[in-house]
Amino acid sequence: MTAADWDPGALPAGLRERVMTASLLARGAGQPVPAVPAISATEAFARAADAFYGLLAALDERDWARPALRDLDVQGLTGHLIGVEEDIQRALAGDPAMAGTDHVASTQDTAIRQAGRSPALTMRDWRRAADRTLDQARARGGTEDGGDRIAVHGIRLPLDDLLVVRAFELWVHENDIRRCAGLDPSVPDPPVLRLMSDLAARMIPYAAARTGLRDRVDVHLVLTGPGGGTWDVTMGPGPDGQGTGQDVAIVTDAVGFCRLAANRTTPAELDSHITGDAGRAAEVLAVAATLALD
Amino acid sequence: MVAARLCLAKPAAGVMTMRHCPAAGSQATVRGVEGSDALLAARLAAGDERALAEMFDQLASSVYSSALRVLGNGSAAQDVVQDVFVELWGHPGRYDPAAGSLRTYLIVLARHRAVDLLRSELRRVARQERHYRLAPPEPAGTASDEVMAAETASVVRAAVQLLPDGQRRVVELAYFEGLTCREVATRMGIPEGTAKSRLRLAMAKLESALDRQLLEST
Repeated sequence: MTAADWDPGALPAGLRERVMTASLLARGAGQPVPAVPAISATEAFARAADAFYGLLAALDERDWARPALRDLDVQGLTGHLIGVEEDIQRALAGDPAMAGTDHVASTQDTAIRQAGRSPALTMRDWRRAADRTLDQARARGGTEDGGDRIAVHGIRLPLDDLLVVRAFELWVHENDIRRCAGLDPSVPDPPVLRLMSDLAARMIPYAAARTGLRDRVDVHLVLTGPGGGTWDVTMGPGPDGQGTGQDVAIVTDAVGFCRLAANRTTPAELDSHITGDAGRAAEVLAVAATLALD
Repeated sequence: MVAARLCLAKPAAGVMTMRHCPAAGSQATVRGVEGSDALLAARLAAGDERALAEMFDQLASSVYSSALRVLGNGSAAQDVVQDVFVELWGHPGRYDPAAGSLRTYLIVLARHRAVDLLRSELRRVARQERHYRLAPPEPAGTASDEVMAAETASVVRAAVQLLPDGQRRVVELAYFEGLTCREVATRMGIPEGTAKSRLRLAMAKLESALDRQLLEST
């Protein structure tokens, strides 16, 4: 074929398949570029802990007394996190009582006890508590299946996922404190954000099961920006269940999606680009918001 | 499927209401992404193979057309289309939405690839012609190889005809008759250094002329 006899509306047969195949051989679907270095879940938690500690060290005396979350000031919120670390350590040590404890109620005493203490002591105690968690996690070592399942605060997850949940929580509370102290929000570094995005995407079906989604939805989730990627997840009843699967594509930025999954923004506030049934997409985002990874 | 922006009203009494916002042209609504081309590039960077398929469906025709005009050969133009889309998929960050549209970026990329391919083919044809003069002929290639070679050779010969006589003759003797620079100098009755400098000048003009000719043709 030459330029003279080519119909501009037509492409040679098979060219599309050939281009798609060659492209996906060069880089697999779902793989973001630039590639983000893979880090362990333990490393993600360590980095989140360092970022949180760095923020605490930068606060002045007045910041510690600022209202931060629920009825807690910054010092109380840090106390809550000390309590969380203590519960995690007990769960890691195999204490079955931790499985059903409530995330807020079981840490409330530790949070309240911080009142009247020196912020430096609270900061020191939190750092030590976080380091003990890290020591226990490292002592268990990494495994291919993500580690033993740990039951704590009503969830039961492989150790790696639990550590990413903890990284999520530290990032979210770091930003709670930043907000009340009038500081700019922070963004996790891309390797940490990648693990957080992946966890949130993988957990959507569980959240959908919990909220009782009626119909099956096949979600093509594209999270843009460093730490993002592409995931295909199915929510709702399986193929043999009720209803037919609806295909929905949601494009949004990775940080915004993690904020949604952490209950720090709403579907209405999240900038997104939807392809497919808009109603189903709204349901998916509403489900993601119930993950409450904070 | 229809792209739509979701606008969710604030939840009231536990009920979430939703309406479709009028699409603002093709504007993207993802944070940090301005415009539909930037959104496509961001989706590519995130590894969204559907974005690649959409882009192919929207732009492959223009890319193929651009390559075909330069190369005049459908098989080679398909290679260029593949190169261009693989390049974009592998390195979406090289596209700068602020510098122009994705369509323009891909067409320019296709032209450059096509010109590179043509230059490579020209060198191959020239080498082949020299080789034929020194070695016994080998079995013929495929019909498409021969068509490609003939087409590219005719483009080169046309460009050579535009050179000043002295330079044109040097090129003809060196590339089409396979003479060395010394032999060219002897045949033309000029110093060897003059033959070499004419050849350099001629090659520079040919590259420039071919580029201009090819780009103008697109």
